[in-house]
Amino acid sequence: MSISISNISKSFARYPALNGVSAEIASGELLALLGPSGSGKTTLLRVIAGLEFPDNGGTVSFGGHDVTSLSAYKRRAGFVFQHYALFAHMNVFENIAFAFRVLPRRKRPTEAAVRERVGTLLEAVQLTEYEKRLPSQLSGGQRQRVAFARALAIEPEVLLLDEPFGALDAKVRKDLRRWLREFHERIKLTTIFVTHDQDEAFEVADRVVLIDKGIIQQSGTPAEVRSNPANDFVRDFLDLPHK
Amino acid sequence: MACASSLHLRRSSLPLRATAESPVAKAVLIGITLVFLGLFLLLPLVVVFQEAFSKGAAAFLHALRDPYTLSAIRLTLLVAAIVVPLNTVFGLAAAWSLTRFRFGGRSFLITLIDLPLWVSPVIGGLIYVLVFGAQGWFGPWLREHDIRIIFAVPGIVLATVFVTFPFVARGLIPLMEAQGIKEEEAALTLGANGWQIFRRVTLPKIKWGLLYGVILCNARAMGEFGAVSVVSGHIRGKTTTMPLQIEILYNEYQFAAAFAVASLLALLAIITLILKTHAEWRAERQLREATR
Repeated sequence: MSISISNISKSFARYPALNGVSAEIASGELLALLGPSGSGKTTLLRVIAGLEFPDNGGTVSFGGHDVTSLSAYKRRAGFVFQHYALFAHMNVFENIAFAFRVLPRRKRPTEAAVRERVGTLLEAVQLTEYEKRLPSQLSGGQRQRVAFARALAIEPEVLLLDEPFGALDAKVRKDLRRWLREFHERIKLTTIFVTHDQDEAFEVADRVVLIDKGIIQQSGTPAEVRSNPANDFVRDFLDLPHK
Repeated sequence: MACASSLHLRRSSLPLRATAESPVAKAVLIGITLVFLGLFLLLPLVVVFQEAFSKGAAAFLHALRDPYTLSAIRLTLLVAAIVVPLNTVFGLAAAWSLTRFRFGGRSFLITLIDLPLWVSPVIGGLIYVLVFGAQGWFGPWLREHDIRIIFAVPGIVLATVFVTFPFVARGLIPLMEAQGIKEEEAALTLGANGWQIFRRVTLPKIKWGLLYGVILCNARAMGEFGAVSVVSGHIRGKTTTMPLQIEILYNEYQFAAAFAVASLLALLAIITLILKTHAEWRAERQLREATR
């Protein structure tokens, strides 16, 4: 599903986090929102998810439909949180099954159907034998994959990832990057991830959007951005020589 | 009492750091603490039970079977049964709104919740007399409609609500502050509605902190004297709670009976302490897990 955001501004109590941001994301694209901390990239992701609402005038559309006033769930946006936000008191199975458990009674699948669907998701993230574990009994990479499977349980139209590799060590990071890229190749789900790490953005994403001070500084494929940086911020941030 | 103090000391003496006091200072400090605890907490407790049984177990039971005493016990249980659920809901609502929303005056409100703790309970009772008493704001109107609040059960409930308000909210605010709202947000993106988020995500996270607050709230509700004394009117068999009944018996020189009722309250305190220690321990663990 394509995503279109237009004229998004968002101010918190004291400072503006986003300042009239507009962007188009094509269906099936894997996009990185890249910027330093405090640039507004996470706020933008949360606005797209429906966890924050933009100030007056901004709109978010999914597949041509205006979803600005819809809640996170109605948008069918799967969200993976920076520190995973797994339910600490539920085991891996119940974390992933949560989306089914909270469905209205008439839509709720039978226990057998829940087992089957959670089983499929567990297989997809290679955690089948961990279903009885609590999140606290898992490694960082495993928790990340549980969060991923949980977000996929709602059969999302778009996938939103906040610093998906941020809290992991270098080796696991590399593996998960590759895994995400392959996963994306397989199901071509429109995916946006936020990162402050340029290598991560450039290696994984089809297209990179650079954000600073709540404004989009440049957007393009990794090659385009590298060969033709738009301004001094981009040059500085990517460590490219000034003209 | 005894179990809690020894438990506490054992726990605090565990981490031996290089910066710890000298052994002598340590022994003196622990000694002073033990003497104080023994003299001012343990000894009175022992005396209460000793006096309660001073005329034998039969007299003890007889004192508790006195109709006025039974009525006082019933009233105390009734008040607690009304006040504790009310303040549990109030406390949850207060903790929820104060930790989930950012708004002007928020920190002032957090301070305000503590008001009943630093205001004398007598004042807590007096404000209700001023508002609902015969000479109070609503006094004439209430008399016209034949509604009794002061010198009746509703006044006792109101005064107790006031005094016990802070306990649940105070237990929950730091816990919920530390836990943040990420799990709730995750539940939201997975399609849970407000009630489901509370029931399936928030409540399991805060249950021990909540229980801790409820236990303290209950203990205070059953034991409150000052605020209740002002609004009760001390009508025997009607508006005397256990603490008031103890005072009446004592003033009538029925020491054994007074201490018999007092021993019930003391027993409640001991049970509270054991439950509280357990809930506190579990709540601390939940807090540690949240901040890890």
